[in-house]
Amino acid sequence: MLFYFIRRLGLSVIVVVLAVTILNVMLHLVPGDPAVMILGPRATPELIAKTREAMGLDRSFPMQMAIFFGNVLRGDLGRDVFTDRSVTTIVMEQLPYTLMLITASIAWAAALGIPLGCYSALHRNTWLDKITGVLSVSTISIPSFVMALYALLAFAVGLKWFPAVGAGEGFADSFHHLVLPAFAVGISWVGYLARIVRASMLEVLGETHVRMARAFGLRERKIVVAYALRIAVLPAVTLIGAGVAYLLSAAVFAEVIFARPGIGALIVKAVDSRNYPIVLGCVLVTTGIIVVATLISDLVNAWLDPRVRENL
Amino acid sequence: MSANPFPKSKGIDRRGFLKGSAVAGLAAASMPISTAVWAQSGKVLHISSYADIDELDPGFYQNGYNVDVMNCIYSKLVHYVPGREWDTSLQAAEEVKQVDPTHITFRLKKGIMFTGGHGEMTAEDVKFSFERVIKHDSPVKGDWGPLDHVEVTGKYEGTIVLKEPFEPLWTITLPYGTGCIVSKKAVMEATKDGGDFGMKPPAFSGPYILDTWKPGQYVKLTRNPEWKGTKPGYDEIRILPMDDEKTMEIAYESGDLDFTAVSLSSLSKYKESPPAKTTIQEYPSLYYVWVGMNMENPALTDINLRKAIQYAINVPQIMQAAYFNQAKPATGLIAPGLTGHRESEIVPPEGDLEKAKAFLEKAGGPPIEPLTIDTLNATTWTAIAQVIQAQLAQIGIQLKVNVQDSGSFWTIGMESEGDRWKKMQLIVNRFSMLPDPYYATQWFTTDQVGIWNWERFSNKEFDKLNQEALQETDHDKRAAMYHKMQDLMEQSGAYRFLTHEASPVMFRDSVKPALRPDARPLFRFFKPA
Repeated sequence: MLFYFIRRLGLSVIVVVLAVTILNVMLHLVPGDPAVMILGPRATPELIAKTREAMGLDRSFPMQMAIFFGNVLRGDLGRDVFTDRSVTTIVMEQLPYTLMLITASIAWAAALGIPLGCYSALHRNTWLDKITGVLSVSTISIPSFVMALYALLAFAVGLKWFPAVGAGEGFADSFHHLVLPAFAVGISWVGYLARIVRASMLEVLGETHVRMARAFGLRERKIVVAYALRIAVLPAVTLIGAGVAYLLSAAVFAEVIFARPGIGALIVKAVDSRNYPIVLGCVLVTTGIIVVATLISDLVNAWLDPRVRENL
Repeated sequence: MSANPFPKSKGIDRRGFLKGSAVAGLAAASMPISTAVWAQSGKVLHISSYADIDELDPGFYQNGYNVDVMNCIYSKLVHYVPGREWDTSLQAAEEVKQVDPTHITFRLKKGIMFTGGHGEMTAEDVKFSFERVIKHDSPVKGDWGPLDHVEVTGKYEGTIVLKEPFEPLWTITLPYGTGCIVSKKAVMEATKDGGDFGMKPPAFSGPYILDTWKPGQYVKLTRNPEWKGTKPGYDEIRILPMDDEKTMEIAYESGDLDFTAVSLSSLSKYKESPPAKTTIQEYPSLYYVWVGMNMENPALTDINLRKAIQYAINVPQIMQAAYFNQAKPATGLIAPGLTGHRESEIVPPEGDLEKAKAFLEKAGGPPIEPLTIDTLNATTWTAIAQVIQAQLAQIGIQLKVNVQDSGSFWTIGMESEGDRWKKMQLIVNRFSMLPDPYYATQWFTTDQVGIWNWERFSNKEFDKLNQEALQETDHDKRAAMYHKMQDLMEQSGAYRFLTHEASPVMFRDSVKPALRPDARPLFRFFKPA
């Protein structure tokens, strides 16, 4: 297990370095000059050249990347070209909002989707199973940004139950501000998880160990929760781990539509203004999150399923 | 107060206005700054801004959204007067007087304090604030043009000395960003060399202070406890950054905002059915939108082809398709209400297809290869490009629309960014503007070719007029110079002026907003109704 963990960690570092480098290459390939964006239209060409030099943009691309990763090892992600604030500070200010959003989204989706899938499997072909099936497919097919817009119009503008913009302050206010974005990002996951858990549960319920448990006369509740669901939930755990990237991209839309702070909104603005240090910092952090989430889902899988554990 | 160079002062001669404004100055001076009455207490104003702040040093400011906040936390000698017509009024100064074309004397009001124990505002602070813009090679040092130095003649008195006359001093420099006065003592303590203090103002001198800045979330301004002037209308102002006008509108409708800009696409809807307890007001805008043509691109070197394109573009059709008929065609770069605004253009707004065809024939017919038009990836801009594409097709010119993101778009014509400028042909462009004509024309001089002059328009007469107009103090003569400059631009065939757009706003009936004539909010003067 320890060897597996170390090996995965090593691979994760390579993935992060590759992802950041490739994205930075892409960013440099598109036209645009951060020095021009910072200084505005009235800067002289001399001042623009001076700023480019101060930002290290006059150096070769490999040199820029080497300096960036060298600084990362020292815990320094650079300085924001507009406000001259530390990129680490800026990213860490925004990161909790995004983490909060994706955690809340997936939490409510799992809390509803997994029991729904389980119930559907246990009551296969009943009218409730069919309704759940139709609703699941419907929610999967609605993009999160469409759901965000309609949720905003219905619950913030129409009914005025929730605020339309911002992230709020303090626990209650923040929670109030989080409801609509989390609803919009999480809704399609309810469908995904319900369908996956249903299919997996049906398969597990037919397996030998479950039939054996029934033969031993164990209570149905115990069989479902302790023996069947424990295994049936594994594909859902894998899906959530791999789906963090999707959740992050859905969060971008939610953050823009709800004018919420967060990594997504930060990246969009930074790419637009060619704010390279912020883009690199954000990409590094988001890639790190995705890699860690995948690692965690693999470890949870191993913890839940002894067969997986043995193969590590 | 000195001569008001805005067009409304037309008819008042400079000396006459000086006399009148001296009286106004005396009246203002005689008002003790502590007699103001507090407005309604406990009020919070929620407003939006199209971007989050990123620079609070007035000597190095960029962009209007930073100046909106600076207006609240610093004081200036003079400020823009809220209203429908451009005008300025005394703020930190008891008197400002232009004694000759290159000397402007000022006398500060007594008792304006900097926060944090940094003492009273003096002429030394004024000198420091203005001279540091030049000394530290600020990107906006152009605002101070030919400033030579500021001479301190007393604790509260001084003289601004220019190397040569500079008319925009009255319309931009003093009442806008670089006119803000900072504390010499505080800035020197914070920066050692008096340079850019960025996002950490070391002291405030306005009616509000920066209480909290939560990046991407809000800017919170609260009353300045040390402020002794007219008390501001609100206990707190919260500015929420939102890039999208539609988001602002939704936020307003849901009750999260008290005041917001309205997009032109939503204006008719709101006029027909405004949100409850809401007032909608329409203001003109200073932005100028035009179609430019790269005169050095091989496909566009023939003036007849450029003129054919000018005449084929029907501006009212564009207003209908891209601006929902809520904006008016422009006659040039300079918006109505400003010195130099032209009453009419050379090419009529509707264009003239027959003339277009005639010019095209002189040019030897449409280009064999399709031309390209670059545009920003914003709905209005792409709509403009698509309408022009259809209009040029009427005379047989094929046009390909290139949509670009802002990072790519805003460097397209810059020589420092490689060879892209050579390939650029037509472009839909839009520049922001401040209330002086020089701010518009300065980008189209020969020395701006390959920097911001992407049409590569180069005309000696234009360059000469642009320089002379900066120093011309006679309003009518100055206006005539700018008329001529716009004529020259249009005659080159490289420009088709489209519109100045419009700036509608909506606000709760409980708010009494204070706006510049272009609807730019002056939050400092907002009050509860």
